[in-house]
Amino acid sequence: MKPPKFEYHAPKSLEEALEALGRYGGDAKVLAGGQSLMPLLNFRLARPTALVDLNRIGSLAYIREHNGQIRFGAMTRQRTIEFSPVVAQRLPLLKEATHWVGHLPIRTRGTIGGSIAHADPSAEYPAVLAALEGEVVARGARGERVIRAGDLFQTYLTTSLAPDEILTEVRLPVMPAGAGYALEEFARRHGDFAIIGIAAVVVREGPRCTMARLATAGAGPVPVRLRAAEQILEREGLGEAAIEAAARRATELVTPDADIHASADYRRHLTGVLTKRALTRAIGVARG
Amino acid sequence: MTEHRAGATAPTALPRLVGARVARREDGRFLTGQGSYVDDHRPARLLYAAFLRSPHAHARVVSIAASAALTLPGVAAVLTGEDVARSAKPVRAASKTPAVKVTSFPPLALGKVRHVGEAVVMVAAESRYVAEDAVERILVEYEPIPVVTDMEQALRPESPLLHDEAGTNLLVSREFGRGDVDEALAGAALVVRERFRFHRHTPVCMENRGCLAEYATGSGTLTLRSSAQCPGLVRDVLSDLLDMPEHRIRVIAADVGGGFGAKASLYPEEIATCVMARRLGRPVKWIGDRREDLLATTHAWDEIVEAELGVDRDGAIVGLRAQVTADVGAYSIYPWTAAIEPVQTISFLPGPYRVPTYRGRTRGVATCKAPLGPYRGVGRPPAVFVIEGLMDRAARQLGMDPTEIRLRNFVRDEEFPYKSPSGIVWDRASFTASLLRACEALDYAAVRAEQSRARAEGRWLGVGVASYVELTGIGSAIPVSPGMPIATGTEAATIRFDPAGKVTAVFGIASHGQGLETTLAQIVADEVGVPIDDVRVIHGDTEVSPYGTGTYASRSLVLAGGAAILAGRAVREKMLVIAGHLLEADPADVVMTDGRWAVRGMLDRSVAVREIARAAYTGARRLPTGLEPGLEATRFYDPYYGTASNATHVAVVEVDRETCEVKPLRYVVVEDCGRMVNPLIVDGQVHGGVAQGLGAALLEEVVYDDQGQLLSGTLMDYVVPSACEVPWMEVHHLETPSPVALGGFRGMGEGGTIGAPAAIANAVADALVPLGIEIAELPVTPDRLFRLIERARARG
Repeated sequence: MKPPKFEYHAPKSLEEALEALGRYGGDAKVLAGGQSLMPLLNFRLARPTALVDLNRIGSLAYIREHNGQIRFGAMTRQRTIEFSPVVAQRLPLLKEATHWVGHLPIRTRGTIGGSIAHADPSAEYPAVLAALEGEVVARGARGERVIRAGDLFQTYLTTSLAPDEILTEVRLPVMPAGAGYALEEFARRHGDFAIIGIAAVVVREGPRCTMARLATAGAGPVPVRLRAAEQILEREGLGEAAIEAAARRATELVTPDADIHASADYRRHLTGVLTKRALTRAIGVARG
Repeated sequence: MTEHRAGATAPTALPRLVGARVARREDGRFLTGQGSYVDDHRPARLLYAAFLRSPHAHARVVSIAASAALTLPGVAAVLTGEDVARSAKPVRAASKTPAVKVTSFPPLALGKVRHVGEAVVMVAAESRYVAEDAVERILVEYEPIPVVTDMEQALRPESPLLHDEAGTNLLVSREFGRGDVDEALAGAALVVRERFRFHRHTPVCMENRGCLAEYATGSGTLTLRSSAQCPGLVRDVLSDLLDMPEHRIRVIAADVGGGFGAKASLYPEEIATCVMARRLGRPVKWIGDRREDLLATTHAWDEIVEAELGVDRDGAIVGLRAQVTADVGAYSIYPWTAAIEPVQTISFLPGPYRVPTYRGRTRGVATCKAPLGPYRGVGRPPAVFVIEGLMDRAARQLGMDPTEIRLRNFVRDEEFPYKSPSGIVWDRASFTASLLRACEALDYAAVRAEQSRARAEGRWLGVGVASYVELTGIGSAIPVSPGMPIATGTEAATIRFDPAGKVTAVFGIASHGQGLETTLAQIVADEVGVPIDDVRVIHGDTEVSPYGTGTYASRSLVLAGGAAILAGRAVREKMLVIAGHLLEADPADVVMTDGRWAVRGMLDRSVAVREIARAAYTGARRLPTGLEPGLEATRFYDPYYGTASNATHVAVVEVDRETCEVKPLRYVVVEDCGRMVNPLIVDGQVHGGVAQGLGAALLEEVVYDDQGQLLSGTLMDYVVPSACEVPWMEVHHLETPSPVALGGFRGMGEGGTIGAPAAIANAVADALVPLGIEIAELPVTPDRLFRLIERARARG
């Protein structure tokens, strides 16, 4: 488990990084926290000609509030997010999701940009991006563009980022004050990727639900927004019957795959169980 | 027999160390990164090895083209199966019993490959990176042949054959019995039957296997450092395979990061590395990575057991009939052979019970998977899962409590020594006491009451009991594995004082995490009357130790501890003679007090240990006439039959009604390993063993697809428990000193893993009584439980 030879670039600025990346015409990989890419290299499953390491670009690590969004530099470590007061206040769902990411050493190295660009459908951050309808900023030779969550994830480990683009920023809209939220996840072992994870956000006005968000991890090749289940809550409110109906609908909206840990049927079943649990807990903490 | 008296006391006034919770002396080294593992050694001119491993589960090797690898800068040599065959004999795990078919296990594939991950070509290069690059440049042409991965299909006549020389995939076939079981079952009030499935597992040591071979052309000596449990055993077999005398081969297993049985066998990489080093005259090192470990370290326990238990109306056992089928994988391993797992399973199936009639048939079947080998418990985790599962089924059908049916059937205290239906003799054990103590520790009645309340709320709470007995510290009377060609009945200790009064104790065992440097030092220090800090324990190096094989089969504390007692006594007797001479007193009047040896009743007339030691090396001038100078002794110990070790485990679990996850809530162990040398270490062994047993019961499974591709090839896929998944354990001890083993010690390194799968399976089944679900397959994963529950609900 040693990687094949590769060229290594450690640029100090984004411009240098883009220049290095452009030189390989799609045959270079961007290295962020390395928690997924390094194993892929060691297994010789990824064989890029070059690595462009973003770890020396200090300007890519920040958390800023801007125009109703929290903006994260792509190289912001998960551990920083876990303890950020801004995140705790404005994006409590992201804080909760971060607790589910791997283990302490992984979160210490792992980054928000790396996790999202890697696009593992079982990971927590892509589900949060989908649930909150966030977006990412991509920089390439031809400039900068903004990609919405719904347009980013294509399939397993594949995004709409071009090979010469670098994901530079993750933008999440501030959660409405008093919004209820929860991330429920089931894994066979603490810190593992989700067999199924459900991110939920609800905004309530009395018994009414003015906004519901549900997104999955582990239920298919990309994070799935469970829009039809959300609509049940927005239509019927937050009573037990509506929760049950939404959970039932959720199981119909996913087409999970089977692997050695869980059959598709079990994953579908879990989607319903965890949707119900996430909604129940989210409603419990919602104010308004 | 006085020599074999249990718990004989050394004449010492120092605090007794045997029985004390002495902190492990080796841990300072381990925790500060100062251990000495294979990969810590980098001799000059070292080459690094990598193996090309088969991507096919079953294929003929048509050709190997290595020229592109050899031209890569930094590549020193490439070795194929044919190259190895020219310099080393093939490995053949011989057997004295016709029940075992003898087959070859070439270090590198010869002619064909039989499992994915089998080593085909070896490369030695200036770095592991270059070696792996070179491996990619080697072109091997394979001609795939049909694959068989299912053990029952492998028995069919039309199945592909793994070993032509065997003429069958049935490599092991054996039967044990006592009495007429068919008649007994026909007349039984109740017969419970089940087809149990204990899936394939693998130990996952923290340190992967690895080895480093150096051949000194000048002296013609070979040194192999290996992450191995049995340096003596490896030395012996290398001598034969490489045609070198044993005294020119040194095998060192210094610090080893876990073995659990999987490092007790000879491995292809060890032989190939020696051949490469001897060929090149340069040191060669191979360090297995985790992928190689999961692919090519021996797997374990993969068995189907079809069993029937007959009881009378009161729940007393009348007979047990079982057929074990084990998937032994592609090769019969040295020295244990393919028989070790399947034969152990039927040997231990009757458990701690009086089983008047028994027939156990066992079959070991070759398939295109990694070889099956020993892993903590060997055969007993599945055996206990089966017998304890049957006991619970019988109890449920009779409306008896699971503890009651066990108490009714345990071999009673007055029946020891008791010969089990498979011929094993239990010297003495505490079956009844361990169960009663476990119930008391748990507050069994209160837990049952809580279970009733939980059930009324619709919660699935269950209590599972498992009692077992195992044979440990096996001497020369019986082989550790049936029919195996080598003797494993003895170990030795050398205890040597230096003139300054410090002690070096050398053993042929090889501690790989058990804390033997501490426990053996405790025994030695007590025997010769010195503080533990004055004892240094050396092990795991064939060059300096007396003859021995290594550490496996829960033997080291019994055999090496016994040898330490014998050698210690011999040294102590000589010390008394010398002290008597120096003090001008009768040796019989010399006593040990406050670290000095004094004349009884005249404590001011005394000598220090150091003075005795110096006198011993000063020679005749200071010694009694005719006494040989020096102060050291080597003694061998053979416990002959071995000694029983038993325990009762009780698990309380809750099954989540929605996610089907099993959550262990409480875990109680009452174990009896005889006289404890160090309760702290006994506790640690129980904790680690239960953690592995829990992994076996709930999480871990080696999975192959039907083409023999390994699907659990990373630690994301092969799920070992982390600290978060392991429950708090309440460990209690009974101390029934062994009447047959010196010191009264019994082995206990494997027990935790033996009891846990059964206790957890029984607890899950107990939780699901409202649904009428039995647990017959382990691991009981959430997905399996989900399907069982869906099916039960569909039945209504």
